[in-house]
Amino acid sequence: MSSTLSDPLLAAAFWTGFGALIVTLLLAGEIVNLRMALRRRQRRERNTLAKWRPILNAAVIGEIPDALPHLRRGERTIFLKFWVHLHQSLRGSASAALNEVALRLECDVLARDLLRGRRRAARLLAILALGYLRDRKAWDALQQQAASADSTASLQALWALVQIDRKEAAATMMPSFIKRGDWALSQVVNILQEAREDCAEVLERIIPELSNDRLPRALQLAEALRADLPPAMQAVLLRHEEIAVLAAALRIVSSPAVADDVRAHAAHADWRVRVQAAKALGRIGGREDVATLLRLLNDPEWWVRYRAAQALAELPFLGRAALERMRDEAADRYAADMLTQVMAEKEMA
Amino acid sequence: MSIDALIIAFVTWFVICYFIVLNGGYLMLNLLAIFSLRRRGEERILDDLPQAYSGLEPPISLLVPAYNEASTIASSVRSMLQLQYSEMEIIVINDGSRDDTLQVLKDEFGLLPFPEAYRVQIETKPINGIFRSTRYPNLRVIDKVNGGKADSLNAGINASRYPLFCGVDADSILQRDSLQKVVKPFLHDPTVVATGGTVRVANGCDVRGGFLTSVGLPRNIWALFQVVEYLRAFLFGRLGWSAINGMLIISGAFGVFRKEAVILAGGYRPKTIGEDMELVVRMHRVLRERRQPYRIEFVPEPVCWTEAPEDRATLRNQRIRWQRGLSESLSSNWGLMFSRNGGVPGWFAFPFMVLFEWLGPLVELGGYVFMIIAFALDWISWGAAGIFLFVAIGLGIMLSASGLLLEEMSFQIYPKGRHLAWLGLIVIIENFGYRQLNSYWRLVGLWRWATQKEASWGVMTRKGSWQRK
Repeated sequence: MSSTLSDPLLAAAFWTGFGALIVTLLLAGEIVNLRMALRRRQRRERNTLAKWRPILNAAVIGEIPDALPHLRRGERTIFLKFWVHLHQSLRGSASAALNEVALRLECDVLARDLLRGRRRAARLLAILALGYLRDRKAWDALQQQAASADSTASLQALWALVQIDRKEAAATMMPSFIKRGDWALSQVVNILQEAREDCAEVLERIIPELSNDRLPRALQLAEALRADLPPAMQAVLLRHEEIAVLAAALRIVSSPAVADDVRAHAAHADWRVRVQAAKALGRIGGREDVATLLRLLNDPEWWVRYRAAQALAELPFLGRAALERMRDEAADRYAADMLTQVMAEKEMA
Repeated sequence: MSIDALIIAFVTWFVICYFIVLNGGYLMLNLLAIFSLRRRGEERILDDLPQAYSGLEPPISLLVPAYNEASTIASSVRSMLQLQYSEMEIIVINDGSRDDTLQVLKDEFGLLPFPEAYRVQIETKPINGIFRSTRYPNLRVIDKVNGGKADSLNAGINASRYPLFCGVDADSILQRDSLQKVVKPFLHDPTVVATGGTVRVANGCDVRGGFLTSVGLPRNIWALFQVVEYLRAFLFGRLGWSAINGMLIISGAFGVFRKEAVILAGGYRPKTIGEDMELVVRMHRVLRERRQPYRIEFVPEPVCWTEAPEDRATLRNQRIRWQRGLSESLSSNWGLMFSRNGGVPGWFAFPFMVLFEWLGPLVELGGYVFMIIAFALDWISWGAAGIFLFVAIGLGIMLSASGLLLEEMSFQIYPKGRHLAWLGLIVIIENFGYRQLNSYWRLVGLWRWATQKEASWGVMTRKGSWQRK
């Protein structure tokens, strides 16, 4: 063996194998250690929940004990997690009672401490707790979190700010809602549902000032929050040159006053605009738009034909017989096929 | 030194260095995966909370290709209908099944012929008819002439209405929140074009109503080996590559794609065995050629469970097919390797795949055979042969152990201490025979690819003994 190891390459190979053996043993030790830590954590969680679950359950039904036990250091994070979980499914007096228990245990102080700490998981938990507690003192720290590059933490901080003061959150954070592409629009809308009216006001104010690259997201937000923009503003947006803005603007059209602008886009060169024009005509169109929709039914793009057929089927003054006549008279086979499909969909719905 | 001795020395060192570089590469992926998992672990508090929908989540079309699945298709579709997601449609594509797959679907879901204005975006075999469920408005069935799985998925893409689609094997066991989890990267980043989730072995688990209710380990040794293999492949293989946007595989069992990007790349390639990998490699190539920013992400949470083969013959066939699939995927996308705008996929992931996954079985088995012959003929000393085995097996055990560590650091799916002990044992013993056997099967796959035998739907013997109604 010693002669083999005198060859430097064989020696290197041997020591590589030996290193792998040592690392494997260390990995095995770490796996066992992690499993034991998991068991300890589970035991601690069981004990903590056995102590606090009855108290929080009693609080939820309005029976907060006069004297609360001491919240030990080792119990704090587990308690806060459970408390957040309970909060998620509660509203009104039950939620207020949970807050009362947490405040008496000084969880607001604890959460603010955790928010200042370096552990990201603890910060996320603190943000949730401070949001439910509607902790005004944490406003600045939460705003800092909301401005951070960490998408998850910033979005949760935004939620907490909305919980604390929806009007101020809408006013101060709106530029961020629009600017931050890393914030999923679906999540932003979820968070802002409670501040819908406040956001609509702010959106109406800032949309005219936004640059072309920000406008589509702002309009998507307006659509999702069902913010009714004034017809004059809708008309201005419908004369925009950017395809993305035009398509987004057509999606929020709600006033027959802008019908002429919408009709003009039915012949737009870009199919993404034509498809939205067809949809918009389905919402605000009248008898005079049937011809336009029939023309769109011959469009080379499948989606335009589909939306045009849907729009025709939705027009309240067109019955099944009228749609069948249109189908039979259609010169284009694709148009007839699409009307057949949409009529079948309507029938099966 | 004579020429013979020089050749022997060269081969010895080539083989040993190959094993060291191979395992070193995997070790690097392992480190990347650790960083990725740590960050995800911090967000677990948010995952545990009930999810709310705004209705703005991108709707998804679930595409379920089916070929001779009469016995399982109804329960599979029923469990898919129960998935939690804001808006989705299910499209089952009956690929000219010779059994009663279509009739079962008609009976179970009240299908009626539907006059769909079918949109051909990718050419496929002819469509016989399209049906829609009278009970579930979001369920449609396409009946088409047999053309293989890739052709079926293309037909599903043509019929799908939504911007994202998810290819699901008819026998995949999903979790209720699988779609929610795997679609997350699309929500945060508009450049994401595909995501895949972790697939785990369902053997030994308890499945009721099409969903997994409790996790266990299989008793069958072949399935046990595969549990460890899946941990290794998914937890650090794919997660590591995903961290640097170099993931070349998304399992066909469960993956979500942006339809627009797939159509741009030309859809699934028919007559391919590894259509899932081939598509992902091609998407990398096409998007890189177009210099279009994109991301292909991996979601480490276990979202899909699948039945692993429990007998040697079925496992052998599966591995042969996988290697052929890999060969097809790489050989039809050579243009990606070292291309000017190839980035991580072209300069690292693709060459890594070629060297260690594609040619790996040749070098690994060749190495073992050479060492045995060289030792028998006294070309090398017993010490050198011993060191070769020591390094090869030692590094193999270390990598499998690191896969197990990642599992323990993150999901701790296997709840009991004895599960962990079993897995620890398998981590060791799989290196004494199983991995070498696997290399042999892959070598056969490589040979069959080289001799170009025609592809077809794979025959998989499924027992489903763990599944309850």
